[in-house]
Amino acid sequence: MIEVRSLQKQFGAVPALRDVSFHAPDGAITGLLGANGAGKSTTLRILCGVLKPNSGKIRADGVTGGMLDHAGLYSRLTPRETLAFSGRLHRIPTSLLRARIEELIAFLGMESIADRPTGGFSQGERMKTALARALVHSPRNLLLDEPTSGLDIPSVRALRVLLRRKRDTGACIVFSSHVLEELRALCDRIVILAGGRVVAQGTPSEVCERAAAANLEDAFVALTTAPEAAA
Amino acid sequence: MNPILTIAAKELTDGWRDRRAVASAALYSLMGPGVVGMVSFAIHDAGRVLIAMMSVFTLVAAFVGGVNVAMDAIAGERERRSLVPLLMHPVTRRDLVLGKWLAVSAFDSAGLALNLAGFALLFRRVPSPAFAFLLPPLCFLAAALEIWISTLCRGVKEAHTYLSMLVFLPMMAGMFMVFSPVAGQGWWKFVPVAGHQLLIEAGMRGAPSDWPAIAAIGLATAIAAAMAIIAAARRLEQDDVVYGG
Repeated sequence: MIEVRSLQKQFGAVPALRDVSFHAPDGAITGLLGANGAGKSTTLRILCGVLKPNSGKIRADGVTGGMLDHAGLYSRLTPRETLAFSGRLHRIPTSLLRARIEELIAFLGMESIADRPTGGFSQGERMKTALARALVHSPRNLLLDEPTSGLDIPSVRALRVLLRRKRDTGACIVFSSHVLEELRALCDRIVILAGGRVVAQGTPSEVCERAAAANLEDAFVALTTAPEAAA
Repeated sequence: MNPILTIAAKELTDGWRDRRAVASAALYSLMGPGVVGMVSFAIHDAGRVLIAMMSVFTLVAAFVGGVNVAMDAIAGERERRSLVPLLMHPVTRRDLVLGKWLAVSAFDSAGLALNLAGFALLFRRVPSPAFAFLLPPLCFLAAALEIWISTLCRGVKEAHTYLSMLVFLPMMAGMFMVFSPVAGQGWWKFVPVAGHQLLIEAGMRGAPSDWPAIAAIGLATAIAAAMAIIAAARRLEQDDVVYGG
């Protein structure tokens, strides 16, 4: 579970987040939806602890893992080495870590690529490696920033299956995207961001109802162009 | 394993696997013995000039072994966008910098050792034992400066430019000390890099080791290295390292 209250963040004179509050429950996939520059990545970077907010509170029960840049791999290391490095930094005891790595390789179907340097990997293989790295310390909360960008259709489908399986173990997953179709296919709850503020949140049907719109696209347009969002 | 050592071990493995970079750094380190060897064939009775040249090449060699690793480990990390995933681990930015600095120090030391071995083979002479105390702090300082400069750069190209300029620092300092009349003034022996040239040259000449000066310059060098490491760790605390390209 992740609870965010009144998050604010400035980059110099530019306000990135004005007021972000939302709730992401356990056993659900929560989608952060917003146009480019709405504050999705900043929110996730703060939740992961790599950026500090100017003000606001975050409450998370259990550890958090994140996949914020799936391109960010070491090309001369293999997935097995990448996971061992990450696991050691998370201070997982060696014997436990070895078992955990094998478990992840099996979970993500990476047996054939586990000992190849990541330099020659396809986008889908890179995504799996980065996802395994985000999961190595068995986080209860998982944050993903645009995880499907650049992926081919089979990889997107594989990712969806994996995320649903992770959710069904009771994990809290927060997922950002600006692709409506993707959120509709995957998310149990949606949080819409515009201009650094949360303008709506709830299940997709609740969001549509609130905007008095027939579908998510109309709801998104209505909510993000409302006067309060433009402020 | 301690996070500093975990990071150092990863950078050592990663840096070592970049064989082309390792080969180029090794060649750079051996350039001194190569050039001095050619000059020694060309000029007879050039002992003093050769020793001055050797001392400058050795000084430079302390800076060349780790350049590629320093570039890749911070500026490269930003460029390939692996810095954010790395910062998501429960590791302080100071430990991160320390781990990378240890690995870069190891590569700088290896470059310097190769250079000294080259000279030792060329002239069939064992280097001064005082070098074992004089030179490691120099490698630590070189690594700290390289890491710090790398944190200031957004990408590998930029880091490459500034790190190449950094290698000129010992070259200029060394040349200055060789040709300048002020070099005879005692206090130069306490200035990192410039003083190292004087002490390396003295060691290569076979002069008795000036232990107080070696201890003092070691201390001054350690302080300078610590300042560069602190500056690098502070730089990594800033938002724009994580944000943007």
